[in-house]
Amino acid sequence: MRGNTLELQINNQKKKKIRFLGDVSALLLKLKMRREEVVVKVNGKIVPDDFKIGNNDKVEVIQVVFGG
Amino acid sequence: MAVERKKGIKQDSGRGTRGQCSRCGTQNQCNKCHREPAIYLHYSDVHLCRGHFIEMFEKRFRTTVRQLQLVKKGERVVVALSGGKDSTVLMHLLAGLKKDLPFELIALTIDEGISGYRAPTISVAKHEAKKLGVRHVVLSFKREAGKTLDTLLKKNKSASPCSYCGVIRRHLLNLGARKLQADKIAFGHNLDDICQTIFMNIIRNEPLRLVRFGEPLIEDEAFVPRIRPLMRAPEREIAVYAMLKGIQIDFRECPYAYSAFRQDVRRKINELEELYPGTKQRIFNSFVEMQKWMRKGLGGEKFFIAHCSKCGEPTAGKNSKENPGECMYCRMVGQIRGKVKQF
Repeated sequence: MRGNTLELQINNQKKKKIRFLGDVSALLLKLKMRREEVVVKVNGKIVPDDFKIGNNDKVEVIQVVFGG
Repeated sequence: MAVERKKGIKQDSGRGTRGQCSRCGTQNQCNKCHREPAIYLHYSDVHLCRGHFIEMFEKRFRTTVRQLQLVKKGERVVVALSGGKDSTVLMHLLAGLKKDLPFELIALTIDEGISGYRAPTISVAKHEAKKLGVRHVVLSFKREAGKTLDTLLKKNKSASPCSYCGVIRRHLLNLGARKLQADKIAFGHNLDDICQTIFMNIIRNEPLRLVRFGEPLIEDEAFVPRIRPLMRAPEREIAVYAMLKGIQIDFRECPYAYSAFRQDVRRKINELEELYPGTKQRIFNSFVEMQKWMRKGLGGEKFFIAHCSKCGEPTAGKNSKENPGECMYCRMVGQIRGKVKQF
């Protein structure tokens, strides 16, 4: 399978390694998460959603928009 | 979701077509300084670095305050501080504004008594208020209404959490702000909240709520006017601002939020925003224009506000001047204490 290996963590859940090729926007699409409701950090830095994810990057997806 | 493309509304493909620098055409750099971008704003097609995003965000806040004259010199403003991102960021922005516009700022927190949720956010609120040197006051459901929200909902399984919470919280905020002799209460309501409220009022067929929303059309001694200085800030940008500024934020969802009608409306608006960037701003701007026309129909008339026959607090319920009944808060508290039957 093509793609980079990245370490993914969603909302303080357990980190997992996945293979993925593309930018943050494509990753969110794959995870079925809305870009309007999350902030993504790559290697500890907030990045825009056209940021290309590289090999061995540590990606953190944080849900920041809630209802109530 | 099947959405037709409308004339004049740019559809976002979701990837590939991204904003370029207006000067040199390079991509994925801050449009103002070519530094590494922290955010891409789809609705204006620009990348911004940390510094320029913070500058834009604070400028928008100050412009809103100035244009709508939300805060005036010498006023006492109470910020409704939950400890969530919106109200915490608002307190920071207001504290920053104080350096240029002398006014008094007090933070007021309502502790609903939601186990595992409210305690950490109150801790954030205390910490951030102390950091800024803002006086912080906490009122609780338990002390003021007799029971925590958790206990209340355990005893009444059919009760809607958001309805109870909203009514009691608003009552205590108004009461608390008045006791603190506040001129205004500042809420952290953001652009997303405003759009959701507009849609919810339309779906529920409540046009009068739309007319009176936003500006203090209610003149009453017991009613503390409300301001919403973050009304033009998208919710996600508030979170990004908090993170970039290192403001301590506890990102957790209210355990009762699952039942909210607002959640469904939020999802739909966000779907549209992703397909058509700028949807939220257009909903807001259309609403402001429509509201002007609706208010013209009122001929400058202010809204009548009733006072509860029991507690004397202002109420926007179905009471009339001739027959003022109990406000929703008293009915709910009565129900909690078992004095009134289910309404």
